[in-house]
Amino acid sequence: MVRTTIHGRVAFALLFGAVTATIYLPIAVMAVFSVNSGRFQVMPFREFTLVWFGRVFRDDQYFTGLMNSVAIATAVSVTATVIAFFCAYSLVNARFPGKTAVTLFVLAPFAVPLILIGIGLRLYFVSIGFEPSLGLVYAGQVLYVLPLAVLNLRNRIAQIPKSHEEAAWALGASRMRAILEIVLPSCRFAVVATLIITFTFAFDEFVIAYFLTNFSITLPIKIWTTLVTGFDPAINAIGVLVFGFSMALGIVAQALFMRKDQRK
Amino acid sequence: MVGPGAVIQGSPPRRRSPVTNLWYGILPAVILMAVFFVTPIGYTIGLSFTHADHAGLTLSNYAAFFSNDRFTDALARSILMASAAVIIASGFAYPLAWFLTYAVRPGRRLLLLFVLIAPFWTSFTIRAFSWQLVLSDSGVIAFILGRILGEPIALGFLYTMSASVFGLTLFGIMLITLTIFSVMVTIDPRLLEANRDLGGSEWQGFVEIVLPLSFPGWVIGAVLTFIICVGDYAVPTLLGGGFKPVLAQLMLSTLKGTYDLPMAATFAAVLMVVVLASALPLALVRRQVRLQG
Repeated sequence: MVRTTIHGRVAFALLFGAVTATIYLPIAVMAVFSVNSGRFQVMPFREFTLVWFGRVFRDDQYFTGLMNSVAIATAVSVTATVIAFFCAYSLVNARFPGKTAVTLFVLAPFAVPLILIGIGLRLYFVSIGFEPSLGLVYAGQVLYVLPLAVLNLRNRIAQIPKSHEEAAWALGASRMRAILEIVLPSCRFAVVATLIITFTFAFDEFVIAYFLTNFSITLPIKIWTTLVTGFDPAINAIGVLVFGFSMALGIVAQALFMRKDQRK
Repeated sequence: MVGPGAVIQGSPPRRRSPVTNLWYGILPAVILMAVFFVTPIGYTIGLSFTHADHAGLTLSNYAAFFSNDRFTDALARSILMASAAVIIASGFAYPLAWFLTYAVRPGRRLLLLFVLIAPFWTSFTIRAFSWQLVLSDSGVIAFILGRILGEPIALGFLYTMSASVFGLTLFGIMLITLTIFSVMVTIDPRLLEANRDLGGSEWQGFVEIVLPLSFPGWVIGAVLTFIICVGDYAVPTLLGGGFKPVLAQLMLSTLKGTYDLPMAATFAAVLMVVVLASALPLALVRRQVRLQG
C-alpha cells in the first residue's frame, strides 16, 4: 500500500461510497415499494403488505417463466461448463498452432452486443426451417456464457502444477483419466463456481431470449412484457426476488473462487 | 500426496510424446462457435445485400439506411450514447481504481470490489426498471425535491437520452473500474516509492507512472463498455423511451414489426461495423496485457 495523504484517502472513500450508494439506491427503493400497499408506485409509503409477493406466487405466467428459465439456465450452465473445461484445458496444456487466434475466437461473444447474437441466430435458423423456440434460446445462451466459463477455468487450470498430472501419466493413467482424476478434482471449486455463475447469467439473460422466442416465455421475458405493456405493482416483488436470488448465487460463486485462491 | 519420484524410482518416466497432445479439447467450443456464431452472423451480413422483393445482390438496403434521417439519427444516437457513457464512466473509474489499489488494505480490497460489482450480476432489466422508480416525475427524487420546494415538480429526466446515458454510465463505472484495477494492482509499488524518494509528488506518480502503465486496462474496459452500450436495447427502452430510438430499438421493431428481414439484417451489419471499428484499439494493447477476466 502506498502512503496517501489522509485527505486524499477520505475524498476517495467518499467517492467510492457515493458511487456504491447510487448503485444500490434504486434496488432499495424497489424493495420498499414491494411491501407498500399503494397501488401506484408513488411516495409516500402507505402500509406494509406482502400482497404483491402473494400475487407473484399465484400467477401462472410467472411460474411458467420461472420453470422455463430454471430449466434452460441449468442446461446452459452444464453444457457451457463442460465445453469450457476441455477448451480451457487444451488452451493451457496443449501446444498447437494458432492458439492465440483460437483463444480470441472463443472469447469473441464477449465483445459482440447480445442483440447481434440474437438477431443472427434468429434470421439464420428461421431461414433453414426452425421456428423461434426455447431450444434456440438454449444455444444462444451457451454461446453467451462460454467466454466467461473459459476465462474462469483457464485461469484456474493454469495454476495447477503440471507435475501432478505427469505423475499420473507415469503411473499409467491415460490422458483422459488424468484429467478426470487429477485436474478436475484440483479445480473443483472453480468448476462449481463456474456452473453457478453461468447459471446466474443465463437465468437473467433477456435480449437473446427475447429475439429467439415468439410465444414461449422465460422469467426475464415475462418481466419485460409486464414492464412495457402495463402496470403491475407485483413487478417490484418479482424484482426483489430475482435480485436477491441472483445476488445470493453470485456470493456463493465468489466465495468458491476465493476458496480456490487460498489453496494456491 | 506421495511425490512421483518416490514411486517410480529406477525407471525414469517417459513423457508422452506431443502426439497425444490434447489439442482437440478445443473442438466442441470451436464447433459451437462456428455453427451458432460465425454462420448466423455471416448469413445476416449476406442477407443485408439482398432485397425482400427481388432476387440478386443489391446495395439498396444500405442506400435506404443512409438516405433515411430516422435511421442515421438512430445510429448517431447509439454512438453518442455509448461514447458519453464511456467518457463519464472513465472519469469515475480512474479515481475508484486508484482508491482500491492504493488506499485500501489488500484484505479489504476484494470485499469493496465485490460490493461494487455484485449488483451487475443480476438482471439488467430489473436494474433499469428500478431506476424508473427513482427518476420518474412521480419518483423518489421528484417527491423529495417537491417536499423541499413545497410544490410538485416535474423533473422531465426519465425517457430522455440523458437518462439512458445515466443508466449505462453506472454499468461503465463498474466494468472500467474492474479492468483498470486488475492492471493497476500489478504495477510494481517500488516504482512509486522511487518517484517519492526522488521528490516526485503523488500527482506526478499518477500521471507519469500509474496512468501509462494502467492504460491497457482502461482501453479494454472502455472498448467493452462501448460495445455493450452501443448495442443495448433494455436501457434505451426503459430509461430512454421510444420517441428517439437507438439502432437496437429500430432493429427489433423492424424484425418483429415489419418482417423486412433484409432491412433488419442491414441494421445488424451496420452495428457490426461499428463494433469492429471500436474493437480496433484492443489490438494495440493486446501485446501489452494478457487477456484476463
